[in-house]
Amino acid sequence: MYDNYLYFPATAALYTLSVVTVLVLLAGVIASTTLWMKGKAPSLHHPLNAPAIIKAFVLECLLQVQILRISVVRWLMHFCIFIGFLGLFAQTALMAFMSHFVPPDTFIAKTFFVSPESRLGGAGARVLDMWGDVFGLLLLIGLAIAIIRRYVLRLPQLETLLKDTLSLTFLTVIALTGFLCEGLRLTDPAYADVARYSFVGNLLAALLKNIGWSAASYQAWVWTHAVISLAFCAYIPFSKAWHIFVSPLEIVLDASERA
Amino acid sequence: MEQEEKQTPQETSASASEPHDTAPAHIPIEKFSARQLLELDACTRCGECANWCPAYDQDSREPLTPRGRARLFKDILSRQHGVFRAGSLLGKLLGKKPVSPDEMRAFAKDLYACSTCMQCHYVCPVRIDTVELWEKIRECIVDCGFGPLDSQKDLVLKTKNYDNPWGQPRSSRSRWTKVAKKKKRITEEPKDILKSKSPVLYFVGCTASYDNNVEEVGINTTNIFQAAGVDFGILGVKERCCGSVLLRMGDRPSFVSICTQNIEQFNGLGITTLVTSCAGCLKTIREDYPKIGSLNFKVQHTIEFILDLIKEGKLTFTRDVPLTVTYHDPCHLGRHAGVFDAPRRLLQMIPGLRIIEMERNREYSRCCGAGGGLKSGYPDMQNRISQKRIDDALATGASELVSACPFCYQGLQIGIQAKNAPIRMRDITELVCMALGIETGAAGGNAAGDE
Ligand code: HEM
Repeated sequence: MYDNYLYFPATAALYTLSVVTVLVLLAGVIASTTLWMKGKAPSLHHPLNAPAIIKAFVLECLLQVQILRISVVRWLMHFCIFIGFLGLFAQTALMAFMSHFVPPDTFIAKTFFVSPESRLGGAGARVLDMWGDVFGLLLLIGLAIAIIRRYVLRLPQLETLLKDTLSLTFLTVIALTGFLCEGLRLTDPAYADVARYSFVGNLLAALLKNIGWSAASYQAWVWTHAVISLAFCAYIPFSKAWHIFVSPLEIVLDASERA
Repeated sequence: MEQEEKQTPQETSASASEPHDTAPAHIPIEKFSARQLLELDACTRCGECANWCPAYDQDSREPLTPRGRARLFKDILSRQHGVFRAGSLLGKLLGKKPVSPDEMRAFAKDLYACSTCMQCHYVCPVRIDTVELWEKIRECIVDCGFGPLDSQKDLVLKTKNYDNPWGQPRSSRSRWTKVAKKKKRITEEPKDILKSKSPVLYFVGCTASYDNNVEEVGINTTNIFQAAGVDFGILGVKERCCGSVLLRMGDRPSFVSICTQNIEQFNGLGITTLVTSCAGCLKTIREDYPKIGSLNFKVQHTIEFILDLIKEGKLTFTRDVPLTVTYHDPCHLGRHAGVFDAPRRLLQMIPGLRIIEMERNREYSRCCGAGGGLKSGYPDMQNRISQKRIDDALATGASELVSACPFCYQGLQIGIQAKNAPIRMRDITELVCMALGIETGAAGGNAAGDE
């Protein structure tokens, strides 16, 4: 474990929580898929059609043109949530990977992530600072549109159940606490030279300083953020967010069958 | 069809099958494919289907939406078969209750308030294969004894007993040919294919065979084929229902039985092509039969067959047809079988004809409400749905509403009659006859009253 890549120490408690999360997530996935597997009729009537699958994956899963065709606002909402969430997930996954498998004295680490002056230095770290802010902001924009459609405009086509509210609440709280953590960290003068890369966090740090919040509560908020994020991951197979995995599967299967 | 009208009690009396006081049988989950069960999880509940569903448009209750139906069914399945099923330790921990007969009955009632028009599939951003799923759910609901609705049972029973949903004797299936010959509407009766061994089978279908209002479809088709010199025959009294009614209603064993007999009969004829003027028969024979057994011939809608005849130079339009028409895509021909261009191409070839599209056309064509058992289960709703389609047609300013399905013909007539709308219902074969200079006898028009 190489702490050099993290702004906070990864404790045994965090590991334990992560393991519990993975177990609950797996249990949920198994519960759902075993129910699917009880279906014995043939799922496919034609051989899989690779070109149709690739086309549908790119256009309808990644770019989601089918939502764009229906409404630009809905597309913007979902694309922001989709890209924002995946961007943040990728960032977290990258750092987790680096801190476990890439020693800080390797060329790639020295060039991009670790510098003698700061714990997490180098151009790569700065890109990641900005990356987090951009994708966090996108996620928040998407969520804001979703919340306005669902709870302010109360569009008649949207039927709101507890699980819709729970998913949106989880994602919003994750994004907001993430930014709060960043803002609190950047109130620390040690980050003054690099703070400008975290353009949202920097702005937030100024606001937090004004109301007297300081880096002292950083650890507590990191914990809050981590626990809520892990809880959401564990909740995925039981929630609306399960569609993240299942909807693309249905899209490509249908595209292949109709090709 | 008068028989059908007598069979259809009012919407309010529609109820799901027999009373069940004890715990209902479990849904036979193994009948689904893994993909179909996955589809219940793939729904993002975005509600796009609710914006388009013709049934929900008339009765805005969430269980009528495809989204609501998927959610309710998933709940039933989870409580009967899931890890958290009622009665299991985990289920008890979460307080899961067994599915009650009342819940099943209510679910079944709403399940049949659907014309299986497939609009929901076309607007679903995650491409759920909705109608296949609804039909499979209906099959399981029938197995559990909660379907079809009482008002639909008769249709199923008659199809099984008489080989046609209208309960008409088998012996009168080809009566229309004799009457048409006697009235000099056709020069020759179509040949009996069992004797003639012709390469083309004209599969007339139950509605065109038995409904006086729609028999024009058979007469026109016969005249067109004879004008082109097609060597074709019909099965006459040996023709059976294609089984569509049984499949849509969820009686799969009976469908498989009729389908197997038909496949055996058709394959034994040595034909190259089976042609039908009915969108429902086309969808059933072309799309559903191959899932049961292979066919050794091509299946075409009359429109596609006529286009081929024109291409081969066997038919030439010689007469102007100075009418303004709008074309209604039958759900089973368009969305189900993907035939959108052929009817438009054919209409465009007719000299003098002016075609105006309705705002909702092709993949987004509004259903007439007649399919999927909706007309027999919920006649009031079908009537209102049909009237909406007539409004679409009237908005174009066309004087004729054209379609390519006897069942849509019936369904749309109901709307025309209810509104006393100044628009004339025509089957596409009638316009083809006019362009060929063949006399057509349809009273047409506000022809719902012709009965
Ligand atoms: C290829 C993958 C995905 C597909 C095909 C997909 C599809 C959809 C669709 C069709 C909707 C309904 C949108 C609407 O109402 O217009 C939806 C809603 C939603 N999706 Fe996805 N999605 C995907 C991945 C994701 C990811 C990665 C996330 C991230 C968390 C996500 C989060 C959401 C949320 C929160 C909603 C609900 C918005 C609301 O409350 O109205 N989706 N998704």
